[in-house]
Amino acid sequence: MKKFFLSIALVLLNCISLFAEDKIEVFPSVRYEQFIVYQNLVIFWIAIIGLIIIIRMKLREIERIQKMGINKEEKDIPLLD
Amino acid sequence: MLLPERGSRLSCQRLKNWIEERYDFEGIKRLAAQKVIPVHRYEIWYYTGGIAMFLFILQFITGMVLSMYYIPHLEHAHKSIIEIVTKLNMGWFFRSVHHWGAQLAIIFVFIHVFSTLLLKAYRKPRELTWVTGFVLLVISIFFGLSGYLLLWDERAFAAVRVATGGAGNLPLVGGFIKAFLRGGIDVTGETLTRFYAFHVAILPIITIFLIGIHLMLVQMQGMSVPVSIEKKPHKTTPFFPNMLYKDLMVWLVMLGIMVSLAVFFPPEIGKKADTLAPPPENIKPEWYFLFLFQTLKLFPGEILGMNGETIAIVLISLGVLFFFLIPFFDRKSSRGEPSPVFTWIGIIYTLYFVVMTVIGFLT
Repeated sequence: MKKFFLSIALVLLNCISLFAEDKIEVFPSVRYEQFIVYQNLVIFWIAIIGLIIIIRMKLREIERIQKMGINKEEKDIPLLD
Repeated sequence: MLLPERGSRLSCQRLKNWIEERYDFEGIKRLAAQKVIPVHRYEIWYYTGGIAMFLFILQFITGMVLSMYYIPHLEHAHKSIIEIVTKLNMGWFFRSVHHWGAQLAIIFVFIHVFSTLLLKAYRKPRELTWVTGFVLLVISIFFGLSGYLLLWDERAFAAVRVATGGAGNLPLVGGFIKAFLRGGIDVTGETLTRFYAFHVAILPIITIFLIGIHLMLVQMQGMSVPVSIEKKPHKTTPFFPNMLYKDLMVWLVMLGIMVSLAVFFPPEIGKKADTLAPPPENIKPEWYFLFLFQTLKLFPGEILGMNGETIAIVLISLGVLFFFLIPFFDRKSSRGEPSPVFTWIGIIYTLYFVVMTVIGFLT
C-alpha cells in the first residue's frame, strides 16, 4: 500500500511539469554549449582590449609625429628626378 | 622573369594608376586631411553620433541575417522566430544582438539629440542638421515599434494595439494614421505585413537617405562648438586619422557591451498572439514609450466634457512639435549670444523624459 501511494505521488510530481508554462529556450541549455559561449565571450573581450591597445599605440605614434611637425609636406622640396 | 613579389607590386601600382587616372582620390584625400575636430571639455558628446551610426550599421547586418529566415505571416511569424532561436546555428545570438543593438541605438540617438539640444548645436547654420537628426530619432522609434510586432507574441501585439490606438486619438488625422499603420480597423495579419514592409524596406531606405544628408551637412559645416567656448581660442585635432582612431576604440567597446548584453540577457519570446484574447496583465510599452505612457496616466478620463486621452495626445504632440522647432525659436543662440531660457527648456525636456521613463519602469 505504501509503495502504491508513493508511486502515485511520484507520478503526480512528474505531471506537475505538464501544467507548467512552456518557456522557449532563448539561450543554449546544454552546459557544454554554455561553456563554449562564455569562453568565446572572454576571447572576444581579450581581442577587443588587444585591438584597443594597438590602436592607442598607433594613435600615440601619430600624435608624436604631428607634434614634431614632420607629417606635413614641405613646399619647394627638390625632386630627385 | 619577374619575381612574384615584384610582379604583385607592379600590378598593385598599375591598379592604383588605373584608379587615379579615372577618379580624383587625391582630392578626396586632401579634403579629408583638412577636416578638423574642435578640442574642448564637451568634445565627448561628439562620439554619440558616431556610436549611433555604428549601431545602425550593425542593425542592418544582423537584420539582413534574420530576414533570411523570418516569415512575415500571421500563422508562421512566431514559429519562424522560435525556429531561428532554437534550431539555427547561432540564431539565438543574432536575434539577441539585433534586439540589444536596437535598444542601444535608440538610447544613443536620444543621448545625441539631448546633447545637441543642451549644447545648442542646433543653432544657425545647423537647423537642417537638427531637422534630419530629429526625423532619424522618430524613425528609430518606429523601427523599434515595427520590429517589436514582428515577434507576434501577446505582449508585442498588445503594445502595438495600444500605440496605434493612441495615435488614433489625434484630432483630424488620427483616424487616418491609425488605419494606415494597422492596414485595417484592428491589429491583424495585415498590420504584420505592413510593419514588416516598414521595418525591412521603407524605413531603411529613408534612414540611409537621411543619414547621408546628416553626414553631408556635418562635413560641410563642421562640428558645432558651444556658445560659451566659440569665441575663446581652442585647439583642433585632425579627423583623419586621430578622431577616426578614437571613434574606432569607442565602437569596439560598444561592440563588446552589445555582445555581452546579448549573451547574458537574451530577450524572451512570449506566447503567440491571439487576436481575440484579452491583453496580458501589467502590460507595458517599450522603454522609449514609457514617458508618453506615464504622461497619459496623469490625465483624467474626461476634462470639461472632452476625452482626456485626446487632450493628452494633443498636448504631447504640441510639446514634441515645439521640441522639433526649437532651432527656429531660439534667436539668441543663432546670434551667438547665451540664451538661458532655452537652456532651461532643454533641461526640463531632458529631465521630464528621464524621470517619466524611470517612473514608468519602476511602477
